[in-house]
Amino acid sequence: MEVVAERKRTSVGKNVRKVDGVALVCGRPKFTLDVDIPGTLVGKILHSPHAHAEIVSIDTSEAEALPGVVCILHHGNVERIPYTTAGQGWPEPSPYDSFLFDRKVRFVGDRVAAVAAESEEVAEEALRLIRVEYRILPAVFSPDEALADGAPVIHDEEDAAGIHDARRNIAAAVDIPVGDIERGFSESDVVVEATCEIPYFQHTPIEPHCTVAYFDEDGRLVIRTSTQVPFHVRRIVARALGLPMHRIRVIKPRIGGGFGTKQEIILEDVAAALALRTGRPVVMAYTREEEFVCARTRHPMRVRVRLGAKHDGTLHAVEMEALSNTGAYGAHALTVLSNVGSKTLPLYNKAPHLHFHGKAVYTNLPVAGAYRGYGATQGYFALEVAMDELAERLGMDPVELRLKNHIRAGETSPIFEKIGEGREGKPMVVRSCALEECLKVGAERIGWHKKRTEKRREGPWAYGVGMACAMQGSGITGIDMGAATIVMNEDGSFRLLVGATDLGTGSDTILAQIAAEVLGVPVEKIVVYSSDTDLTPFDVGAYASSTTYVSGTAVLRAAEEVRRQILKVAAGMLEEAPGDLELSGERVISKKTEKSVALSEVGHRATYVVDQHQIAATASFVPPESPPPFAAFFCEVAVDTETGVVRVERFVAAADCGVAIHPKLAEGQLEGAIVQGIGHALTEELLFSGKGRCLNANLFDYKIPCALDVPHIEVALVKSEEPTGPFGAKSIAEVGINGPLPAISNAIYDAVGVRLRRAPFTPERVLSALLSR
Amino acid sequence: MRLSGIKRYHFARDVDEALSLLAAYCGRAALLAGGVDLARSARGDLEGLIDITGMGLSYVRGEGGGLRIGATTTLTGILESKAAKEYLGGFLCEVLRRVAAPPLRNMATLGGAVASAHPWADIPTVLVTLGAEVRWSDEKGEHRASAEELWQRQFRKMFRNAVLTEIRLPAWEGAFAFEKLSRSACDIALLNCACGLGVEDGKIAWARVAVGATPRRGRRLTWLEDFLVGNQPGEGLWREVRDRVEAQVEVSSDRRASAAWRKAVVGPLVARTLKRAAEKMGDA
Amino acid sequence: MKIYFELNGEQQYVDIEPGESLLSLLRRLGMKSVKQGCNTGDCGACTVLVDGRAVRSCITFAAKVRGRRVTTLEGLGSVDDLHPLPEAFLEAGAVQCGFCTPGMILTAYELLSRNDDPTPEEVRAAISGNLCRCTGYAKIVRAILLAAEWKREGRWR
Repeated sequence: MEVVAERKRTSVGKNVRKVDGVALVCGRPKFTLDVDIPGTLVGKILHSPHAHAEIVSIDTSEAEALPGVVCILHHGNVERIPYTTAGQGWPEPSPYDSFLFDRKVRFVGDRVAAVAAESEEVAEEALRLIRVEYRILPAVFSPDEALADGAPVIHDEEDAAGIHDARRNIAAAVDIPVGDIERGFSESDVVVEATCEIPYFQHTPIEPHCTVAYFDEDGRLVIRTSTQVPFHVRRIVARALGLPMHRIRVIKPRIGGGFGTKQEIILEDVAAALALRTGRPVVMAYTREEEFVCARTRHPMRVRVRLGAKHDGTLHAVEMEALSNTGAYGAHALTVLSNVGSKTLPLYNKAPHLHFHGKAVYTNLPVAGAYRGYGATQGYFALEVAMDELAERLGMDPVELRLKNHIRAGETSPIFEKIGEGREGKPMVVRSCALEECLKVGAERIGWHKKRTEKRREGPWAYGVGMACAMQGSGITGIDMGAATIVMNEDGSFRLLVGATDLGTGSDTILAQIAAEVLGVPVEKIVVYSSDTDLTPFDVGAYASSTTYVSGTAVLRAAEEVRRQILKVAAGMLEEAPGDLELSGERVISKKTEKSVALSEVGHRATYVVDQHQIAATASFVPPESPPPFAAFFCEVAVDTETGVVRVERFVAAADCGVAIHPKLAEGQLEGAIVQGIGHALTEELLFSGKGRCLNANLFDYKIPCALDVPHIEVALVKSEEPTGPFGAKSIAEVGINGPLPAISNAIYDAVGVRLRRAPFTPERVLSALLSR
Repeated sequence: MRLSGIKRYHFARDVDEALSLLAAYCGRAALLAGGVDLARSARGDLEGLIDITGMGLSYVRGEGGGLRIGATTTLTGILESKAAKEYLGGFLCEVLRRVAAPPLRNMATLGGAVASAHPWADIPTVLVTLGAEVRWSDEKGEHRASAEELWQRQFRKMFRNAVLTEIRLPAWEGAFAFEKLSRSACDIALLNCACGLGVEDGKIAWARVAVGATPRRGRRLTWLEDFLVGNQPGEGLWREVRDRVEAQVEVSSDRRASAAWRKAVVGPLVARTLKRAAEKMGDA
Repeated sequence: MKIYFELNGEQQYVDIEPGESLLSLLRRLGMKSVKQGCNTGDCGACTVLVDGRAVRSCITFAAKVRGRRVTTLEGLGSVDDLHPLPEAFLEAGAVQCGFCTPGMILTAYELLSRNDDPTPEEVRAAISGNLCRCTGYAKIVRAILLAAEWKREGRWR
């Protein structure tokens, strides 16, 4: 793979203006709900008030009689087809345990029926008029309860598939032993154990889920939706509704954030069903309350880590056990569970004895799904707290302990081979790793050594510093495919068509930068069109930190093929060999003589003049490996010892994402992920009543960080060159969220000597720990 | 906002018109100033809205060292007024900067805060400490009462048929401070405290202390006020305040915080607030 | 009922439902930059300016703007003629998904109209009611400080 030498680069590595930036800052109507289609009906969902119940009867006669109500759907009038709502490649490694409408409800908020009406008011009135008779069943609200003898079976339907052990409410399970773990612990000089727990966190994208389903002039169904996975939406909606896939077009316009909750089929199936039944366009949008409870959440988890090490700090045995609450349906249950171990254990690859095991268990609570970090976040909380305890036991500096144990370029871990995405993985050697440098940079910037000895106090405020490190992946090995088509216009500009999904991450921009670099044009000459299943080639979508690495490589390959075609035409025009020509400054330039020709001339010639043909190429890429980005996190906290209030004063993150295609966008991913992580650590938690009803499904009581909550954040991009990545790039989207939970917990320990192992670290929990010290 | 049953929106020109409109609707209309509480309420039964922001009730005037604030003055209006900046060294401004966020402060009115008096709110605690007087009009005429006394009554029912007109804050010779504990930096209080001290010859001459969001609405700790008088401000006194407050203040649990935590922190919270007030006087 | 008001410099005379929100009215009139994030006044995505003051359009009754001046992001420059404040957001890399951006920019506009030399802390306080989940606020604060600098240099409208 030819790489343009760094000092000559004109696009890659530059902070170009986002291709959609101007439109966004001018408020142009680019989001899902910003279109008005005449005749659109409003769709609304009737949600279950019970955590676990059978639907004995549904009487919609009164609701249907209401003027303005056009259609009501429920289990009695739709075909019953099991599917998964998880936006994953086929075959989805999630149970097929969901139905458009089922005869049973499994959490407060579950779907009972859906109405399409002429207005929102009429739709809501209709919901109130639908009479449902429920037979209430006993419900379980934690994995422990769900696993207990005699627990009610949540998925007792006969036609579900892919559930690990439905009778015991186990959606998925993993058990990955390496070596002999108990022997490993007995051979260790020091053994520590830490169990960490996280509750229900929700992504709270500022734009709730929304979808418009309508018909084009040919009567094909078009779904315009706020999604991270347009191609999976198309396939899964086709399955759920028994429609041929080619009769469906899915378009993703600008969307207002996702973070994983939009890696899912949430409203598209219902909206499409209503549109098909009524023959009219249907718009559906979640309220903020529905967004909290009826979209997706992070998997609440309890993770236990046991570490055995030698006196010199080398890890010898690592055990990780995870108990995951997947909620009422099993989307992403297996894969998130697998990632708890697969994205954490390879980081410290020195231990020959490993055991990773765990279960994902159904409960009668909101459905957990994909959330940035995807299991690694939960895993690193426990692992990095355990490492901190180990460092203390050994009398070793926590940074030194990491330096002693972390994986380095040229090394591997047995975990890469053992755990893939719901199946076995593939062996992999890490080719780029600047974690050592990240640790040094981070430690220096926060003033680690000075602050560790300082023990600063001001009145009731005690200060401390803590650290953690993490890795993630870049795409899913052997499974994720991204593709790109580049078409040359006659004027020397280009169209870049990618299935890849920009959810605000800026992927449209960085993919254009990659193409621009190869084609020797400014980014403005690349017109990007993305995420339209009719017009763009396939891409799995935005998840698993795959877009830069996977979709980016597809773009690189397509651009190189287009370059080859251009050079062939230009060779004829300049009468030189293609091998002597290069692209630069919108021209084809000879490396040997003074001759050159403008790209516009090449385009014009190929379109109208000689040997007319369309200069274009489509390329695909499925990654044979998933090079991890690495990050080191350092934070300083102040703890009010009288009230338990924790303030994060400073947060430093140094990350190795390979080469940053767009440094500011990469920084933005880190900064945003860190603040989301601070929310996990300090304030966020969904609360439920004893009957499984969510008590704080609103932004007034589910507190996410505001601008005043954010400490002084400093991010540093530490370069490495990933030989398999486009221009040396890896990924950055997720790894940042893995740091705050353990780093803040460790900093609190440094400040006041108590370990917070249950998130969020509310003033109440902190004070309680302080008082019982 | 879910108020779809509204049939008419009125712009009242004066108090009498507002009152007669209220009467005509027989309880199915609401007065509207900023509308923040109304829009978030579940008053689906409402048919009429009576906008009272055009009745000349937006003003902030200093009078005899005290403050007169029109009921429909927005919180931002108070924050930016010269009179409020001068009152008690800008104490009211200090408090309001910690209430909600600027766009909400641009909408919310002081009268609205008095009429809703949410138990978790900061303004009621502060008004009680300051000894605020509330004035309103109903069909029987004009009335007044201290905010403290008003909130012991069925005030919400009362205000469905009355127009709040003015809030008066008396003059004080001393210093006031306010503290709150919350989940994030832009949040309601899990516990709040407002207090004022007057110091003469190095000893406390008078004290006002109120604690709110306990989770109950702000109330004065008159027993603590009595105790403080005659004592010398200082670390010794603040320690004793902590112990007494922890022992005697009633708190309970709600979904935002437990009684145990509130009990443990209310002492330090009150002590800190008093200490800050004393520091403002130069007598920490 | 009918009301007249000024929207981005142009007079409007429109029919509204008495209980309609300003958010609903503005989107109906084609101002799609005004976003609904929560409909309870908690997230700030719906923020617009009324007589130069930032308000939550989702909990403002449409009738309230009778006779007033309303500004949405569409009134602050255009694609061919960027206003310095949105341009500063672009320059600083403060726009990721862009959903919070209109409300954020208008809130910043009010701040800068009253204080053209805010400290970072003052900027944070001003936008404390505008939630963003993408950026962590870091580059948004820098964008507003950059715009303030430009304003002081005379580069403003």
